[in-house]
Amino acid sequence: MTTTDIPAPTARPKRPATAPKRRPKREHEGAAWVFLSPWVLGASVLTLLPMAVSLYLSFTDYNLFDPPRWVGLRNYTQMFTEDPRYWRSVLTTLTYVVIAVPLQLALALVVALALKSMRRGKAFYRSAFYAPSLLGASMSVALVWRAIFNDGGTVDNLLGTGGWVNKPGWALLAVALLTVWQFGAPMVIFLAGLQQIPAELYEAAAVDGAGKRRQFVSVTVPMLSPVLFFNLVLQTIQAFQVFTPAFAVSAGKGGPADSTLFYTLYLYDRGFVASHMGYASAMAWVLLLVIGAVTAVLFRTSRSWVFYASDTDGGAR
Amino acid sequence: MPGHRTKGFCASAAALALCAVLAGCGGSGESVGGGKTVLRYTWWGNPDRAERTQQAVALFEKRHPNVQVQTSFSGYDAYKQKLAVQATGGDAPDVMQLDYRQIDQYASGGVLLDLAKQKGVLHTAEIDPGLLATGRVDGTQYAIPQGRGTETVVYDVKTWKASGVPLPRQGWTWSDWAGAVRELAKKTGKPGATDPGQSEDAFEVWLRGRGKALYTKDGGLGFTADDLTEWWTFADKLRREGAVSPAEQTTQLDGSVENTPLGRGKAVSDFNWDAPASGYLALIPDGVALAPTPSGEDGTPGQYFKPSMFLGVSAHTGHPKESAELVDFLLNDQDAAKILGATRGIPVNETIRERTASQLKDFDKTVADFQSSLEGTLKDPPQAPPSGDNALQTTFQRDYDQVSYERMSPREAAENYVTEAKAELRS
Repeated sequence: MTTTDIPAPTARPKRPATAPKRRPKREHEGAAWVFLSPWVLGASVLTLLPMAVSLYLSFTDYNLFDPPRWVGLRNYTQMFTEDPRYWRSVLTTLTYVVIAVPLQLALALVVALALKSMRRGKAFYRSAFYAPSLLGASMSVALVWRAIFNDGGTVDNLLGTGGWVNKPGWALLAVALLTVWQFGAPMVIFLAGLQQIPAELYEAAAVDGAGKRRQFVSVTVPMLSPVLFFNLVLQTIQAFQVFTPAFAVSAGKGGPADSTLFYTLYLYDRGFVASHMGYASAMAWVLLLVIGAVTAVLFRTSRSWVFYASDTDGGAR
Repeated sequence: MPGHRTKGFCASAAALALCAVLAGCGGSGESVGGGKTVLRYTWWGNPDRAERTQQAVALFEKRHPNVQVQTSFSGYDAYKQKLAVQATGGDAPDVMQLDYRQIDQYASGGVLLDLAKQKGVLHTAEIDPGLLATGRVDGTQYAIPQGRGTETVVYDVKTWKASGVPLPRQGWTWSDWAGAVRELAKKTGKPGATDPGQSEDAFEVWLRGRGKALYTKDGGLGFTADDLTEWWTFADKLRREGAVSPAEQTTQLDGSVENTPLGRGKAVSDFNWDAPASGYLALIPDGVALAPTPSGEDGTPGQYFKPSMFLGVSAHTGHPKESAELVDFLLNDQDAAKILGATRGIPVNETIRERTASQLKDFDKTVADFQSSLEGTLKDPPQAPPSGDNALQTTFQRDYDQVSYERMSPREAAENYVTEAKAELRS
């Protein structure tokens, strides 16, 4: 142990010494920047600059019409200590993330597994299941969704439950189902992941006497865990930012009785309906930090359940 | 995975391309469309208003062959939000319809053009000076009212008559009204009215009937949490009895007649403004009639003639003259007036009003008769609401949702509203 540790401190300082060797590469740096310039320009003008402005606005009282007025941390303190609707929107969003993401991923995995073992028509079904992901984000589908779940709509007629979108306990579920329905994108990724699991692993497992279920638990799940992790991170980030379906299904108000008041919807309401753009900017920054933190936590937990085949390869080498 | 990327990329590329197209057409003051001057004109309202407005605009284009007018309209709630976003982004339409609530904010925010500068083409001599003054902020004429409207209890004539419940009469009180909706619910099996608890407008009528107002002269709150508690308790009780529409119906209100309980055939009457009530005709084939809103218990009328639907011109328009011409045409042209009728209320141009009054037909005549029946009986309108009111209208509806879904008591919700309103009016 100690012997292996010794070279490390000496190896580290060597790095700067090797740096001059890279020098020649920098000759092309100018050209690289030229090629990068469209992206750099776009990113700085369309992303970084607005972000900087929004950071500044988050410390101001800005009603969009009059010039912003510096108020320090007031927006933030108001948000955390004086605004019950803010916490309501946080709770709504968390509930939604916890319901919609696992449901969507589970459905995507089930369909991917079914498709994997299909012999014929795989391409057709793959496209068919993927279609909602392309359409689902659009306003028109969200409006149709509202009509389906409204009173007198399809669901009401079939189940006689009344309009979900007008019931505080049900409206959130209607929005979550719209997200779950768009399971196509993670499904395609799962499918790709499933197809990369070497067949010999299953053969070996079968030889060892593992049944279908055992194969799924011991081969599929661990081999698929990096893909599962990727999907989980991506869908969680997206779920936190859900806007269009929430806006359309709740008729733009987060109703009924604030039951679908998503974080982003409340942000929009503060910024564009109530004209408190400073407050809305502060909300946006808190959301960014929270998503960052949640993603960091996911990455941290991933060490204990995500299995990278290369880890064992590396060990072997 | 690559397939996914490619499809997503294609979709977003297509969307971006479309955006670029829209932006190209939409920029105010852009001259596209074969060298013609292109104006954008937007309003809110029902399909009937849209059809007539488009006819009038077509006539304007015929008279001004070098001008092309791009129109768009939506329901009030959606319109309000969209216009706010456009206005703050410096991309307000050249000519826009504005509500009394928006004028103060938009004028002081530099969104609107001083219309006095276009005096040469935009004539206001034939508009009542008092009415004209409602479009002024700090002495500058930023907007011109297109009509005046008043609140009404609009009801399904056939159903109400068949129920045998006495028809509404002038001077009826809120307790008369409550008695009537209870009877209607009993006789017809559906609620007698839309739950008025959610409506800031209905609350204002009720409040004025008691000699109070929504706002004080200096823009503060004109009522207390006790007043609001009383109003919401009144509405809440009727709703629990089934005399007015249930929460599931009321929450669908979005400013369009189609989504009111009356429009959906789920109630016998509704509170609304008189001119937009024409939209009910398409939904209730047997026809609707207009009745005055209930008065206070001592007979004090709550409703008032409100300058409705102003026209304003964007401060950033590239074509101030053409825009002003369009405004002038919509307000003062004889033929335009004939097409528009009373779709935005009774015309403000007095000559036109006198000349067209006898020619009004169908629902326009109903509105005109309704207004003249109230002439001289109403109190003066309140001054323009403070800018915070624009957001408070929504807050009001939302806080009442908490009552109608029985998540808060009227008292709790009222305290909430008053706190929110005070904060909103201060900022």
